[in-house]
Amino acid sequence: MDLDFTAEDRQFREDARAWLMANVTREPRPHEGRELREYDLAWQRKQYEGGWAGVSWPVEYGGLGLSLTRQLIWFEEYARAEAPDNHLCFVGLNHAGPTLIAKGSEEQKAYHLPRLLKGETVWCQGFSEPNAGSDLGSLRTKAEIDGDHLVVNGSKIWTSHGHLADFQELLVRTDPDAPKHKGISWVICDMTTPGMDLRPINIMTAPHHQHFVQVFYDDVRIPLSNVVGDLNDGWKVAMSTLGFERGTAQIKDQIRYAVLVERMIEEARARFGGNSPLSKDEIGSRLAQLRADMAAARAMTYMVVSRAQAGIQGSEASLMRAMVGEVQQRARRLALDIIGPDALENPEDDDRVFYYLRSYSITIAAGTAEVQRNIIGERVLGLPRG
Amino acid sequence: MDLLPNDEQTAIVDAVKEFLVGEAPVDRLRAHGEVGNPDAALWPRLGELGFLGLGIAEAQGGAGLSSAEEVLAFREYGRHLISPAILALTLAARVASAAGLLAAPELLAGTMRAGLANQRGPADLRAGTGVFHLIEAKGAELIVAWDEDGAALFRRDDFTIEPVRSTDALVSLERGTLSGAQPLAYLSAADDAIHDRARLLIAALAAGTAEGARDMAVDYAKVREQFGKPIGSFQAVKHRCAEMAIRTEAAWSLTAFASLAFALGREDSAFMATSAKIVATDAALKNGASNIQVHGAIGFTSEADAHHYLKRAHLLDQLGGDLRRQRERLLDMPSAL
Ligand SMILES: Cc1cc2nc3c(=O)[nH]c(=O)nc-3n(C[C@H](O)[C@H](O)[C@H](O)COP(=O)(O)OP(=O)(O)OC[C@H]3O[C@@H](n4cnc5c(N)ncnc54)[C@H](O)[C@@H]3O)c2cc1C
Repeated sequence: MDLDFTAEDRQFREDARAWLMANVTREPRPHEGRELREYDLAWQRKQYEGGWAGVSWPVEYGGLGLSLTRQLIWFEEYARAEAPDNHLCFVGLNHAGPTLIAKGSEEQKAYHLPRLLKGETVWCQGFSEPNAGSDLGSLRTKAEIDGDHLVVNGSKIWTSHGHLADFQELLVRTDPDAPKHKGISWVICDMTTPGMDLRPINIMTAPHHQHFVQVFYDDVRIPLSNVVGDLNDGWKVAMSTLGFERGTAQIKDQIRYAVLVERMIEEARARFGGNSPLSKDEIGSRLAQLRADMAAARAMTYMVVSRAQAGIQGSEASLMRAMVGEVQQRARRLALDIIGPDALENPEDDDRVFYYLRSYSITIAAGTAEVQRNIIGERVLGLPRG
Repeated sequence: MDLLPNDEQTAIVDAVKEFLVGEAPVDRLRAHGEVGNPDAALWPRLGELGFLGLGIAEAQGGAGLSSAEEVLAFREYGRHLISPAILALTLAARVASAAGLLAAPELLAGTMRAGLANQRGPADLRAGTGVFHLIEAKGAELIVAWDEDGAALFRRDDFTIEPVRSTDALVSLERGTLSGAQPLAYLSAADDAIHDRARLLIAALAAGTAEGARDMAVDYAKVREQFGKPIGSFQAVKHRCAEMAIRTEAAWSLTAFASLAFALGREDSAFMATSAKIVATDAALKNGASNIQVHGAIGFTSEADAHHYLKRAHLLDQLGGDLRRQRERLLDMPSAL
């Protein structure tokens, strides 16, 4: 056990901090649309040009080739500097990129990885279907081989930012006769391919807030060379992708939320100060519990990284994810309780209500809270399947 | 950065585990009867193995290791529901060693007994006044008490004592009043943040207790059958067990983190130690309750061990101030970001 960082790591942290201080964009981040895309890509480009993109990615594809610890440090400083969320680059940098690094062909890596790091391309994730959510393995969007192409027919749904993306990581059924998890392939789909139709879906944060799309595929032709890993081996490829979601990038969120809780404490003091000390108030008690829980979330992320560094591959990361989702929701709810009746207002320029409503997705997206608990029960604790 | 034990630490953990599995299985408590525990017999043996002075400097007769090694051992004590006298011995040895008391080597060797004095009303340790609960203090020569300002050692004879029945029947509990006793030794918090060390050790005991309860529930859920299946295959039970696992992961990760922050003397060490006590005792309390529920009626009896975990969790929560008090303290601290 050791919390000490090496002298080189500490130097790296200082350099990162200094660079972020001088370069973090202070323009407010648009909530949606092309402006959002431009904003996120510009910030990614700036990180690349500053020499900070892809800290743990291989050098030959534009990364820095550094350790997971350095990646963690970078994300910590990133969050401390309150750098913008960059969410449009999330799938590319945290799913597609790592998947290509692990399973992609040389051509796929050489083409896509540098573009991702340079902020030139946006990726989206086409996994879920109307009838395949938690039970992702039952997906039915099918792809038939025709010469050197796959011909895709079917539909994907809940594709975040699909309308703003250039590429999609797409799971399709390439062998309808194989057992459920054995006939799936992972393919790179160019969003400009003919035959794709996108239907925008608004989310509950406010009327007309568009976040994701449903995609319909009508004889969409994708070159076979876009299959990542082997044909019909897409389930394994996808599982390696989902794993990355639970890695170092989480620390960014943990710190962002810890900062939020500190802001909430300041605000609560300002609002309730004077009468009785906040620490004696119910709100104060909940804030203190959140402070402790945020510290725990951070420590749990360190634990996840420690296990990854030691090469321990397990499902333990779902413990952290399950805990963090619930705590983040609790934080967003408490932010509303602090403002009391003002929570009935949802103005454009104050995102408390926006993020409170958004928080309901935390325990659904990327595996629901219930599915997380199934995984913990069966794969971490070894309880029998139902 | 690494929250996993290194080779040397793993060797320590393995040694503690091996000792406890052989000498202190949880069912020793059932065999022992209704009141008290047989753990005093363990102290000289733990002393011989060098476990009672893990965090004390070598020059003072300890092993010269840090709070990280201490919490690793205390987590195992928690898992085995070892008497909280282990905390008393560890803290008393610390105060005695710092003061150069003659008792120090005996405490380190486990040949002298120590109990805890936990405040149940106003107290002034330097002035030797206050009202306390004395925990595992029967048969103890020395009694250690601590607060935010420091830690003090008293003789058992310094207290006016009134017996009471303990909720956690595995430990002896008495009410004790000090009315102007001179402490045998006093260690100021300015010289040694013993209150935060105590928080860490209690957090580690609580994390271990929460883990013990989790394991007991999971083991039972795998073998108890109803409706023709192990109950652990029902989601209501499975998810309850998953919640227990999530809490233990939070409790231990944070306790490990906090012990390292403390060992490094980082600015956030008080914040982290307090957070760890909150998260770990909360986990122990909730897992204690869940374990009873997973067991059904047998969990409600004194014939199963489930109730011990819950009652111990309540005791650990009260030591040095309960969740409410810790939250108040944490809220008043500066941010640790
Ligand atoms: C904001 C947001 C963004 C998303 N972005 C993407 C994206 O970019 N790409 C993509 O592919 N998908 C995306 N998703 C989809 C997401 O992965 C799915 O919503 C999720 O996997 C759950 O599937 P579902 O919505 O069909 O719910 P269902 O699976 O139908 O679940 C409904 C309810 O039943 C419960 N349930 C289901 N099965 C079980 C079980 N075995 N045990 C216990 N309870 C069960 C669930 O927990 C849930 O409460 C996104 C979702 C959200 C909310």
